[in-house]
Amino acid sequence: MAMRELVSGGAACATSGSSSSSNPLGSLANALLGSSSKTQERLREIPTSTAIPSDGSASVGTGEPLSGLPGSELDHPLQPNAQGSEFLRGFRSADQHGLADVWDEIQRPQVNFPPEHVLRQPDTNGPPQRVLSSFLHSFVNSSHGGIPFCPATLPVLGLSAGDKQCIRDRSSIMARHFFADKSEDFINAQVNALLSSLEIDNDIRAPGPAFKRYQELEKYWHETHGMRPGPNPADGWVAEFAQHPVGHGDPSTWVQSFEQEHGANGWASEFEHEHAQLASMDHIRGATMPHLAAMEQTRMLANTLAQNNDPKFQNSKFFQFVSKMSRGEITVEDNQIKPATLSAPGDWATEYQQQYSGGQTWADQFVHEELSKGPNGWVDEFASERGHVDDGWVNEFSKLHVNDWAEEFGRQVGEGTFGDSSADNWASAYDEYLNEQTALKQQSESSRGVYVFSDLNPYVGHPNPLKEGQELFRKGLLSEAVLALEAEVLKNPDNAEGWRLLGIAHAENDDDQQAIAAMMRAQEVDPTNLEVLLALGVSHTNELEQAAALKYLYSWLRHHPKYGTVVPPNQPDSLYYGDVATYFSDAARMSPDDADVHIVLGVLYNLSREYDKAIESFQTALKLKPRDYSLWNKLGATQANSVQSADAILAYQQALDLKPNYVRAWANMGISYANQGMYEESIRYYVRALAMNPKADNAWQYLRISLSCASRNDMLEACDSRNLDFLQKEFPL
Amino acid sequence: MPVFKVPFNGYSVKFSPFYESQLAVATAQNFGILGNGRLHVLQLSPSPANPGQPISEISSFDTADGVYDCCWSESHDSLIVAAVADGSVKLYDLSLPPTANPIRSLQEHTREVHSVDYNVVRKDSFLSSSWDDTVKLWTVDRPSSVRTFKEHAYCVYSTAWNPRHADVFASASGDCTARIWDVREPASTMILPAHEFEILSCDWNKYDDCVIATASVDKSIKVWDVRSFRVPVAVLNGHGYAVRKVKFSPHRGSVIASCSYDMTVCLWDYMVEDALIGRYDHHTEFTVGVDMSVLVEGLLASTGWDELVYVWQHGMDPRAP
Repeated sequence: MAMRELVSGGAACATSGSSSSSNPLGSLANALLGSSSKTQERLREIPTSTAIPSDGSASVGTGEPLSGLPGSELDHPLQPNAQGSEFLRGFRSADQHGLADVWDEIQRPQVNFPPEHVLRQPDTNGPPQRVLSSFLHSFVNSSHGGIPFCPATLPVLGLSAGDKQCIRDRSSIMARHFFADKSEDFINAQVNALLSSLEIDNDIRAPGPAFKRYQELEKYWHETHGMRPGPNPADGWVAEFAQHPVGHGDPSTWVQSFEQEHGANGWASEFEHEHAQLASMDHIRGATMPHLAAMEQTRMLANTLAQNNDPKFQNSKFFQFVSKMSRGEITVEDNQIKPATLSAPGDWATEYQQQYSGGQTWADQFVHEELSKGPNGWVDEFASERGHVDDGWVNEFSKLHVNDWAEEFGRQVGEGTFGDSSADNWASAYDEYLNEQTALKQQSESSRGVYVFSDLNPYVGHPNPLKEGQELFRKGLLSEAVLALEAEVLKNPDNAEGWRLLGIAHAENDDDQQAIAAMMRAQEVDPTNLEVLLALGVSHTNELEQAAALKYLYSWLRHHPKYGTVVPPNQPDSLYYGDVATYFSDAARMSPDDADVHIVLGVLYNLSREYDKAIESFQTALKLKPRDYSLWNKLGATQANSVQSADAILAYQQALDLKPNYVRAWANMGISYANQGMYEESIRYYVRALAMNPKADNAWQYLRISLSCASRNDMLEACDSRNLDFLQKEFPL
Repeated sequence: MPVFKVPFNGYSVKFSPFYESQLAVATAQNFGILGNGRLHVLQLSPSPANPGQPISEISSFDTADGVYDCCWSESHDSLIVAAVADGSVKLYDLSLPPTANPIRSLQEHTREVHSVDYNVVRKDSFLSSSWDDTVKLWTVDRPSSVRTFKEHAYCVYSTAWNPRHADVFASASGDCTARIWDVREPASTMILPAHEFEILSCDWNKYDDCVIATASVDKSIKVWDVRSFRVPVAVLNGHGYAVRKVKFSPHRGSVIASCSYDMTVCLWDYMVEDALIGRYDHHTEFTVGVDMSVLVEGLLASTGWDELVYVWQHGMDPRAP
């Protein structure tokens, strides 16, 4: 202000006799009001004759100078000081070294400075773009038709503080543009939903003039109300808001439910609410008075502005992109904002992550799953051992299993596990499934053990795909990690560690076929790698391939520096389960504090279906390694197998708390619910797992069965066409 | 009419003032929220390599952050100024190989640069406006800004040079004001509380240098006469969401083009009663860039977050093959 007065005052002193107003505003008005003829007049008066350099810079000297802008009315010679010259003269006399000089000075020849080559290489090492891209997309698209933004649990993206600040600031500013119809509450909720799901700290404050003002206000508020300046009140409000399962889109609904929640608190809560809003506003670093006014306006407008019912909005990419999101291992949750509690960067390299889940439940309702799987595995194992397939034997073996299954099924029906109608559905679904399996059988047999690479791999050509893969794996981005690791083993086919990690990533992603294929490659390269051997043992146990499992577990023991002495030096021609179990019991006695031995024992007891012993072993191992999420999953799977599905869910929950992207645990959770007859629940978990990894074929089959059992035949088509968007909408978790 | 697919979300499109077939497109990954950016220079003719495609790419330049806006130099046919979200203003010379570009990177703004505008009268200077609440004045041959204009209380979304007066420009800000500035003066010369909501764009009438249009989050476009700015000359209602850009026709004094978060491009004649004279809903996501060719009357270009660039003649269907 003072500055302005000062300058205009100075100008007034200097310009005596000028016909025009002498203050800056007048000068401008003059310039603007003046007719073109007047301008011409003044043009002639001007003594300056500064010419515009036709080419001011050597570095940009390639274009031909144009005398005039085509199509414009500016064909007359350019006179930079054409208007406002009275003022300018006065201004100059008042301040010789003022702004006008600088502005004119630029006309004078400049010392050329060398062109800068400052382009930073585009940052391709940033956070995984696909994950983020689709996530942000869903945020942006949530503005179409006023759909509340439902954030998903996201993996650790490795966003830098700068990235987070960008996302926070930019989304806040942009949200105010495209949520124009919505109330400030809604906008804040949307932005906060985005931020909290990206784990962006709302306390990162951007600098801004308005912030100071607010700080004062906050101080005042705290002083007058004796409140502790504790954590940002906005956070509390946001969290609270997030818990409201009401339609966030309608501010009046929101207010209603807010009142229900806070009842008689009336004014106080209202004020607090305002206060919290202010705090949220502050996050966009511009809680200026115009904003507060605008906020009020928005509220009023929100009620009067009509919703956009244009089908274009409803059909926008919001829905299409949900499926793409699945590639990034994120899903849309129900109206709940669940900030991901992500696993601490663990010592993944030393942990045994290979475990199993799915198929083991065959002892329960899902026997039929294993029916075709089991023979496959056997046949495969048989083929790889003997070099050819004995069809007769296979048929006989299959029949055997069918009988087992029929018995099992009959027993369960007898126990009333299935309702009458659901049994029918289930049976027909099963028939279809069998047909499918028969068709797939040839294919899967020939491809078994052969690692199948992804088509388009953005990590091919990456300077260090192994490191990238390890990093992605650590962050829980399994599908991305798989791609990076594939790039690594394509580059270095003899890298055992690359293959091993690839196998583990597949196992965690609930893809045992690929896991085994990768692990076998790892074992080829490094036949004595303990981790690989254990992983193979577990994978084959999962596939109920006892002989192979025993072989690998035996090798593990034999090559172990501590337990090598426990086993006879020469591997016998045929391993017996009992012998191997004895060896491991000996090993466990030797060092009762070695969690690995207990894990293997647990796996072995699974093979022999001694589930109580297996549970005991895993629980012992968990005391030694309480943060091993794969171990929790193993415990859960075992409990599920021993018909303790309720306990299993608790164990899976532990695994998911430690590692939210653990696809296998999500799928297992579904199985456990299905085992308890809670099909509707199980569907949600399958869909969740599939959203993270659509390639998990087992989970698709489980989903189909649960849909049949839940009498949701209307969704079977979506399941068969693998329409995840549709399924996710129908079965949000 | 021609359509071109860009890999990122379109942010801005500008016709070259020198060649009727060239246009520059500013794009940003992930809607400009996070990621890289790319500046495309397109040619309205098929390339020999790909004769089926009506628009071909002459050149493209990658940036480490989104490109929010671009403008062509009025003095050199190969010079483009880009507004980058990392706070830099970058100059690109098409006649130089990509490795020699950008020829300048001007790093002064502390936050995202949201617009750049080249002075059409004094063809040596340009303005940048930023979310750091400031506007900066630059010349092509200086390594630092000539002046910084700091008065707005919130993001400055766009600036527009007066088409006739070399020193006068307007700025549009999220503080709900538009301001008129004379670069020789220390402070803004006029504050226009034009809307009750954030103002995202402004432009001067090319035939009446006292008339300015503002576009706002309140979905409206208002036309003002700066000599009597108490009431707007016209209020153009019809967009369903915030109006992102507004642009006066270089050929008809009363014609305005606008684009909006309602995914449409609209043409208006603010002098007539039924002001809305054309609506194009060819984009399937937010439409955030629109331009009218100076060299070809009625030729329009638009871009949006659907990653498409359309070029079409007014009255035609942009999607028509």
